[in-house]
Amino acid sequence: MSPIKKQQNLKAQRMLSTRSTVLSLYMRVFRIARAWQAQTGIAADTESERKYILQEARTLFRQNQQLTDQESIKRCIEECEARIEIGLHYKNPYPRATHLPPMGLATQKGRKLRVQQRLRKQAKPVYLQSHDET
Amino acid sequence: MAARVLQQCVRSLARPSLRLCPVNLALRPAVAPTVTVHRLLSFAADSRRTRWLEQSRISSVGVFCRQYGDLPPLTIETIKDRVMYVLKLYDKINPEKLQTTSHFMKDLGLDSLDQVEIIMAMEDEFGFEIPDAEAEKLMTPEEIVQYIADKKDVYE
Repeated sequence: MSPIKKQQNLKAQRMLSTRSTVLSLYMRVFRIARAWQAQTGIAADTESERKYILQEARTLFRQNQQLTDQESIKRCIEECEARIEIGLHYKNPYPRATHLPPMGLATQKGRKLRVQQRLRKQAKPVYLQSHDET
Repeated sequence: MAARVLQQCVRSLARPSLRLCPVNLALRPAVAPTVTVHRLLSFAADSRRTRWLEQSRISSVGVFCRQYGDLPPLTIETIKDRVMYVLKLYDKINPEKLQTTSHFMKDLGLDSLDQVEIIMAMEDEFGFEIPDAEAEKLMTPEEIVQYIADKKDVYE
């Protein structure tokens, strides 16, 4: 009885702490968007980048609102923090794309499509998880 | 120079009391530009300016205190009006259903992300930061008004 209850209590506590982490991240993104200045210095760019940050935050947070799996929640939190850090460092809110040519991860053995897809999914950096490459 | 400006104010205040109200209101914006202009300030020019400013009917809150470029003082009523105005502008809230005691989550059906957005909008409106821990607890417009009144030391 008691180990199960303990586990449930721990899980509830973890959910509460992740909830507060997520809400503080959301607030942090909004504060960054409020004080954002574009790299180019043009006012139109500043406005459009601010709107982009807000819109991106709203859509991604809403999309992942329903997740209950601890692992995926943790990955989303990491993605959010990584994007915040990268965006502040390069003064660029758009996701920082990586270049991986079509057969970039191929070895002599694993040249088939499914292997490649699996490897590419694994090699995608954490801050590009929500970014779909088309 | 400041002493000369004060002398002029006292002299103009000592004029007949018919013009007491508009003189006070007109002097406030008159004092600010006179302080910035350094020399060449004659009493005649000042009185001409105050008379012109009187006629242009500068409106303000109507209190007899000097503000020197500060914002008008906050009252509970004004805070409540501004909070309700900002909430009505938010697109996820139905303005008819909104009252001061309506709970964001239970009555208006918003979730915690929306509540964060509302608190950010309040921060933008009133111009001061609300820390995270206290922002989570503000769940009705009434609580927000109380919190802002506490922070800004408004009389209750």
